[in-house]
Amino acid sequence: MDRRKALKNIGTGFGAIAVTPTVVSLFQRCQSAATYAPVYFSPSDFEKILQLMELIIPATDIPGAIELKLPEFTDSYIASVWDEDRQGKFAEGWKVFLTASAAISGKGVDQMNASDWDVVLSKYLKPGSEISGAENDAASFASQLRSLTVNAFKTNEFIGENVLAYAPIPGEQRGCVDLMEATGGKAWSL
Amino acid sequence: MDTNYDAIVVGTGVTGGWAAKELCEKGLKTLVLERGRMVKHIEDYPTINDDPWDYKSGDVITNETRKIQGKQSRTGYTTTESRKHFFVNDIEHPYNETQRFDWMRGYHVGGRSLTWGRQSYRLTDFDFEANLKDGVAIDWPIRYKDLAPWYNYVEGYIGVSGQNVGLPQFPDGNYLKPMELTCVEDHLQSSISKNYQDRLLTIGRTAIITEGTKPGLGRMSCQYRSRCMRGCPFGAYFSSNSSTLPAAEKTGNMTLRPYSIVSEVIYDSDKKRASGVRVIDSQTNEVYEFNAKVIFLCASAVPSTSILMQSKSDYFPNGMGNSSDQLGRNIMDHHLGVGAFATTDDFQDKFYTGRRNNGIYIPRFRNIGGSTDQKDFLRGYGYQGGGSRNQSWTSKVAEMGYGAEFKNEVLKPGGWSIGLGGFGEVLPYEDNRMTLNYDKLDKWGLPTVTFDASIKENERNMRKDMQQQAVEMLENAGFKDVKGYDGDYALGLGIHEMGTARMGRDRKTSVLNKNNQIHDVPNVYVTDGAAMTSAGNVNPSLTYMALTARAANHAVEELKKMNL
Repeated sequence: MDRRKALKNIGTGFGAIAVTPTVVSLFQRCQSAATYAPVYFSPSDFEKILQLMELIIPATDIPGAIELKLPEFTDSYIASVWDEDRQGKFAEGWKVFLTASAAISGKGVDQMNASDWDVVLSKYLKPGSEISGAENDAASFASQLRSLTVNAFKTNEFIGENVLAYAPIPGEQRGCVDLMEATGGKAWSL
Repeated sequence: MDTNYDAIVVGTGVTGGWAAKELCEKGLKTLVLERGRMVKHIEDYPTINDDPWDYKSGDVITNETRKIQGKQSRTGYTTTESRKHFFVNDIEHPYNETQRFDWMRGYHVGGRSLTWGRQSYRLTDFDFEANLKDGVAIDWPIRYKDLAPWYNYVEGYIGVSGQNVGLPQFPDGNYLKPMELTCVEDHLQSSISKNYQDRLLTIGRTAIITEGTKPGLGRMSCQYRSRCMRGCPFGAYFSSNSSTLPAAEKTGNMTLRPYSIVSEVIYDSDKKRASGVRVIDSQTNEVYEFNAKVIFLCASAVPSTSILMQSKSDYFPNGMGNSSDQLGRNIMDHHLGVGAFATTDDFQDKFYTGRRNNGIYIPRFRNIGGSTDQKDFLRGYGYQGGGSRNQSWTSKVAEMGYGAEFKNEVLKPGGWSIGLGGFGEVLPYEDNRMTLNYDKLDKWGLPTVTFDASIKENERNMRKDMQQQAVEMLENAGFKDVKGYDGDYALGLGIHEMGTARMGRDRKTSVLNKNNQIHDVPNVYVTDGAAMTSAGNVNPSLTYMALTARAANHAVEELKKMNL
């Protein structure tokens, strides 16, 4: 079954926000088994990006980064939207981030597992964490990766149509209304 | 193919559409020429229902697009995936820049009426009298009273939503019900009214139907999808394609010919009139001549001016109507990209419904007499902007770091932010000009346009005030993180290029007369932005449409009197 159609059909049966375990399990079943060939990242870097992005947007009652293919979206986004200069700077940031990560974990970056990456992200992304001047570039890379992950998450069809408040044809405009009444506390997807 | 018509209209954007409608409705057999492809209402709007996730990387500008639409991408918004097909290919349509000039345009039926910003404001006598009072350039040959009935007529036909606020520098008009302010905008409105005697905030006046219907192809009320630049399936915003061209079509008097590049207006030196136009078929390269009693150039400022420059004859060696040497000079725009933005922690339990494709407006409050007069600059500016909360997530959400809690927070609307961006008047300077480069021809063998123009001291001084006043108003409203900005601006970025065949009272100093006729060739009318004698500080399309309707009426009267 076409995953996109499946999700679209299911989406209409539920509220704009509610995502039940049934939806999630069906979502998982429909996942394609084909492996993705990254365009911007090397295959080994992409493996690491996958783990980092899943830590940033983990699976909860709503699918996480890997299920939603946010790493694939981001890889392709960097390659097709950013100019060479920006891609180059991002690559430099990634190198610095990897070096810093190895130092924090005491392991080679290829040996690091999810909990090792969690320690690194915790250092660079949790508020209140002390970051020395020498670590600024690594921390700034982590923050950029987080922005990219959120962008991918919010541009995702499943999230946009089934999790966020989705109104393709609102029909009316009200300037100042109660948040809970308007969307039940969610952001608009469009 | 019929080659004889009563009237020829060159261009199908906001002015071409209006000329076509008026001339056809008044019974003239009219040939409407468009250099680009056909775009049929709805049928040829391929992206109208696309969501961001229907594109591989979202609705963004890609590297592939930048390769062929590099200049068209300079705005940062014109060539996203959902809009890029309505802007030209820069490789196929090159131009030259002695100084940077951002020239955004679309070659297709409907032109920029499909992608315009839709903000619709009237000029006033503060504008029409400004050059005379300031001793700048030349006097406008018309005043507000000449245009007011035509503003009224055009607004009524196209549908403009907005609010009458009774300010002399921001005249009341013929408006449909206004859109609503968001909570933070409402707060800023109260604060400005409390803190200032000289200014107020109102909702933008936009050419979008908010109640009832309008003539055309099933034009009805806005559904608040905010996808205007793609063409509207409801015909809610005004475009030639949904409104004026169908009206012209309905009369049976219109012949619309796409792929028709007008290379020149042909001059008959015996009759001292134009006899017709020469057209290159953009697909076959074949050349045709079409004849008519009256010709309306509505191709937008730069192309209309180029056509006149290319229309060389023994009588007009420097281009038709150019005995004043003003053709191509005095190019203006509105300078923007300066203002301030801020955030607020208030209204956390408030939101909005519908995507309002319209902003707020703070009308001009400088140089309109008494204490408003400034020492450092002439003329004025208005602000456009808005307050919303959906987009930003970083400030509050970043505290969650990352992970499950962070993810949950990302799904909520971010904090409120509000911005005010200035739109300032650019003065007409003779040495701000466009010329034709015959050493660099396009693929049809026509000369390319070279721009050599920039803003000067008056605009730079105005920008300081634009930033400062925006900061002050946001601070006075008690907003947080107030930051002023003055970004990268080059002429053209406002997409309001104008002034290159100005109206005036004297053929020695202007190209057009008070009826938009070329002084020396009265059966040629130029009614697009080229006609502007000064820029004013408001979005100009409504004025172009009013000038066009007025000129078309004049042309028909003159034809009846056998004067043309």
